Amino acid sequence: MSGIHLFVPMLHVRDAVGEHTRTLRDLLVADGVECRIYIETPDEDTVDETRPYLEYEDDALPGDVLVYQMATRSTMVKWLRDRPEPVVVNYHSLTPFTYFAPWNNWIARHQVEATLELRALSSTAALGIGVSEFDAGELRASGYQEVAVIPVANVRFPPTPADPATVAALARRAGDGPRWLSVGRLAPNKAHEDTIAALFVARATTSPGARLTIVGSPTEPNYARALQRYATRLGIARSVDFVSRISDAELSAHYASADVLVMLSEHEGFGVPLVEAMSHGLPVVAYASGAVPEVVGDAGVLLEAKGPRRVAEMVAALLGDEARREVLVARGRSRPHELGLERSGSDLMAALRAIADRSSGVTGGSNQASPLRPGAPLSH
Amino acid sequence: MTAEDAGNTDEVTAEDAGNADEVGQTVDPRAGLPADERALLEAFDRLQPQGTVRWAFDDAVRRLIESPDTHGRPAGWGGLPADLWERGRGTKASERVLGDVVKIVAQDVTEYTDRAVKEALTLSADALTELRVAVRDAVQFLSARVELLESSTDPLGLQAAALDLPVVDVSAWVDAAPGWASRRADLPVLVGELSDDALVSALAGSGATVDGVDPRGAVVWAADAAFDVGSGPIDITFAEVIDHLRTLPESSRGCVILSGSVDRTDLAGKVALVDEARRVVAPGGNVVLLVTDQAAWDASLDPVVRDLLPGRPLHPETWRTVLALRGLDESAWLRPAAGSVHAVVAEVVR
Repeated sequence: MSGIHLFVPMLHVRDAVGEHTRTLRDLLVADGVECRIYIETPDEDTVDETRPYLEYEDDALPGDVLVYQMATRSTMVKWLRDRPEPVVVNYHSLTPFTYFAPWNNWIARHQVEATLELRALSSTAALGIGVSEFDAGELRASGYQEVAVIPVANVRFPPTPADPATVAALARRAGDGPRWLSVGRLAPNKAHEDTIAALFVARATTSPGARLTIVGSPTEPNYARALQRYATRLGIARSVDFVSRISDAELSAHYASADVLVMLSEHEGFGVPLVEAMSHGLPVVAYASGAVPEVVGDAGVLLEAKGPRRVAEMVAALLGDEARREVLVARGRSRPHELGLERSGSDLMAALRAIADRSSGVTGGSNQASPLRPGAPLSH
Repeated sequence: MTAEDAGNTDEVTAEDAGNADEVGQTVDPRAGLPADERALLEAFDRLQPQGTVRWAFDDAVRRLIESPDTHGRPAGWGGLPADLWERGRGTKASERVLGDVVKIVAQDVTEYTDRAVKEALTLSADALTELRVAVRDAVQFLSARVELLESSTDPLGLQAAALDLPVVDVSAWVDAAPGWASRRADLPVLVGELSDDALVSALAGSGATVDGVDPRGAVVWAADAAFDVGSGPIDITFAEVIDHLRTLPESSRGCVILSGSVDRTDLAGKVALVDEARRVVAPGGNVVLLVTDQAAWDASLDPVVRDLLPGRPLHPETWRTVLALRGLDESAWLRPAAGSVHAVVAEVVR
């Protein structure tokens, strides 16, 4: 039986692209579709659920559709470009190399190569799917003719319940001041240093007892270490906690225990933590970059400038205005539904089925009623 | 955000969301920030490894290992952990030692590679592959030695800034400081660490342009507010003193007054401070070290802090010896009228 197979350079757990890929696989399999995940480099946590991508050559069947989850460079791109099957590029945003250049030349070079690979696939891809309008714009700019917008499929509804033990531990640790939370990989584009600087100013001015927890894996070790050194030099190391490798329930505990999500990232293809925070009833203060404005909408405080003094003031103003905070929290709780996240999986499957039908010559093909949601049709 | 909610011009309306994605891409997020906020953020930039010996070395090793011809081939030796390159980055305290080691490593690798290239002209493809693997292994062994040395120089990864250090009381020298700076009054005076506002104020009051530097964020932030930085004769930089000195041109300061860091760094760090201070002070100017009395140091510090700091104060006579060994032959030891901080003053002659 032909299938829809997923290709990803590495399949990580507790990673946005990895969880999106696994969720899509589960949805397709549950729907009776043959689906396997092929990888370039194995991850010991997921090695049992993946196959090396070159093995696909033995598995290939007529009518297959190949879906490439793109977020970094991979040697499999050249191989995919030469495959006869239709290839769909599910694009999760490439962080511009300039963010990594001062920290890790190796990753920076990879990002440059990835940008070239994104363009290289545009001429043969059957469809490009961005997880946001922002990403869709990058696909179009890279030469993709058919582009759709379907958000990530791995946001959980309702949110995973908070781990009670973690909630209790965080309560014991909390002082009198507001608890800031920032969630995102420790990578330079996330600009966690701006949040640390804002906390420093907040503690010196509006909120002496403010604390910050940063949840995220140290993607770039130099950057991660610099963040810790920075907090130390500012004299606030004991007020900044770095947390990584936690379960969904533990992450939910952090959302449940915080007073505000502060996200000052400078390049976001979607921003899953924003949606997670809003789902948990946590107000959001975020820098208006990348896809952040379209994800947050009117449900949070968006900043077009993020100087530390301004961020500290805006957080203090939000936390000091109960009525306004309640309005934003209420809007935030409904925001995932407005974004249509609960149907992302089915939309994604419909789009992939349409490509499969079109390639196998089913009447109507992509001219049938669009499998994509209204407002995000295939664009040419 | 609705219009009525948007009480602040910094906030973006929902209508702006369509083009707000360009904000982070095309606009410098720091554009228009006040000087003190820019300084706060630029202090983080100085923690970037780009341009350091370590960064370049790691990059070269990665290029060697990931060269297309060797990519995917099994290593002849697989004993190093996979995350070798992600661990044990150098701290400032160990950079000097590392620099020396890396120099040796670089010489070894250069000699080895030169020989490999010459031999390659006479080798078969298989033999050449083996040679490449051997070179790669050699580099990994050498890099492992660097890792070991690095971990031995700073096994706990401590930074002095993380410890609760007492403020150095330099009040005994507030009146004398303008005199030290007056020898080359045509050039700014650098004060490395901001122990006492009165010292900086006295220098500025005497007509000197003051270039202050301190690695403690809270101290810099308070000084920025106290001295109205940016509009007067005082500028404050948030950085390690040694790092700041290294950015300054030769003979660009009329006087350098150091305290704090000269007490707590190890001997290599102390010598580096002296060398850099001597370099940036113009002929005729003074290098001044305000150093804590050893007995007072031992008595005043928390035992844990005292034990974990990389260095302790030198006796003033020892300082004079160090200064002489580094080219500052003419120095004087001045005892304080009150307190426990001595002054060692050396004139720069070139």
